Amino acid sequence: MLEVTDLTIRSSSGTVLIEDLSFDLVTGRLTCLIGPSGCGKSSVLKWLAGVLSGELRVAGQARLHGAEMSLPHPAIAYQPQQDTLFPWLTILENASLGLEIRRTGRSIARDRVRALFPTFGLEGHERSFPDQLSGGMRQRAAFLRTMVQKSCVLLLDEPFSALDAVTRLMMQGWLTGRLAEDPRSVLMVTHDLFEATQIADRVLVMAADPGRIVSDISITTPRADRTEVSLAETRLSLRSMLLENT
Amino acid sequence: MRLTAVSPLVLPAPSDVLNGLRVEGDDISRHALATVGVASLGFGLSVSFALVVSVALHFAGLLRRGVMPLLVASQTVPIVALAPLMVLWFGFGLLPKVLLVILVTFFPMVVSLMTGYGQVPHAFRDQLVSMGAGPWQVFRRATLPSARAHFFAGLRISATYAIVATIFAEYAGARQGLGIYILTAKNNFRADLVLSAVAVSALLTLTLLALIQGIERATGHRYRRSTHA
Repeated sequence: MLEVTDLTIRSSSGTVLIEDLSFDLVTGRLTCLIGPSGCGKSSVLKWLAGVLSGELRVAGQARLHGAEMSLPHPAIAYQPQQDTLFPWLTILENASLGLEIRRTGRSIARDRVRALFPTFGLEGHERSFPDQLSGGMRQRAAFLRTMVQKSCVLLLDEPFSALDAVTRLMMQGWLTGRLAEDPRSVLMVTHDLFEATQIADRVLVMAADPGRIVSDISITTPRADRTEVSLAETRLSLRSMLLENT
Repeated sequence: MRLTAVSPLVLPAPSDVLNGLRVEGDDISRHALATVGVASLGFGLSVSFALVVSVALHFAGLLRRGVMPLLVASQTVPIVALAPLMVLWFGFGLLPKVLLVILVTFFPMVVSLMTGYGQVPHAFRDQLVSMGAGPWQVFRRATLPSARAHFFAGLRISATYAIVATIFAEYAGARQGLGIYILTAKNNFRADLVLSAVAVSALLTLTLLALIQGIERATGHRYRRSTHA
């Protein structure tokens, strides 16, 4: 379990951007972080990933299974908002990058990644370059790179935002399927209420000025039973909360 | 047949220039080879220094702030003033000419590389740092590949300067090279031979540029790709 306690982020001028944020992530559960633009959702992920700008002043703790951790940490894998597959690397080279950086031998890393290509629907594209793949395939390659690191916590910053509606739906289903087979603690930022309620086990709602969590909603309806009707009340409640705190 | 009344001593016909190339071909080739030798050595050293210095400046912000103004100031000294001084200080050998080529070609290379290093997308850097990459890993895996286009742009600019700077250095004082050949031909009122040597120097520059383009193409298959389809 990953616990974040009393996270406060200030700008260099002292303005409080995020105030006393505390939450936990449980293994096997997908938590969505939603909130208005500028409330600091991506900053929370960047802090946990160890890539928050050095100009910001941060107070707060991250604990993994009770032990304080320094960031970045091998137990946490991060997938930024933008498509960060390196255009000059093949899909195989891109996908094994995380392992190679963590000092797994190149051939071992590539063999391990190659073995996962069929699972991620990328078989036959080992030597392709990112610009030769569709948006959905690139996103799966990025997931492969994130998930192969065997980190127990995944941070996903709007992973589907650049995809068309149909691919987005397919990828949402694909991701929850993958996580069912290979459970991790997932913290995912999204702007899409439908997406959040469709795939999350839990939704954290943030408000802005300063960024803080104003609601913590568990979604207990099994994913297979989630429909427009069954989730209508939850979505309406989330929408009201977002409108009240914008 | 001549279309103007301008004396061939002032502006020789293209046929005279070609004839000069034919008659003096061996001599011009010998001098051109000397120029190519100096230019290649100076340019090669300059590119190597530029790579080392740019990496040092990239990693040391304080050094960058101190050294960049000095580099800019070095470019305000005219080559016309520097070339005779180099000869005065270091004689007629290889050293003053190589130093002059380095002085002229080094700056565009460093500036191009530094600009290129700044082009790496933040997301690429963040991705690598979150995976545990240190500053050198980030540089090697993201910054350096992102700077490739700028490196070759700087290389092309510097290559054009390399031949010109060598000729100018030879012009200020040398035993061999197109610069001294041009000076001698000018002193003998042989404008046709001056232009023959100029044509050869242009050809050398174009050859060097073609070589660089060839290397860029041959090694750049994977770097010509865009981030998104």
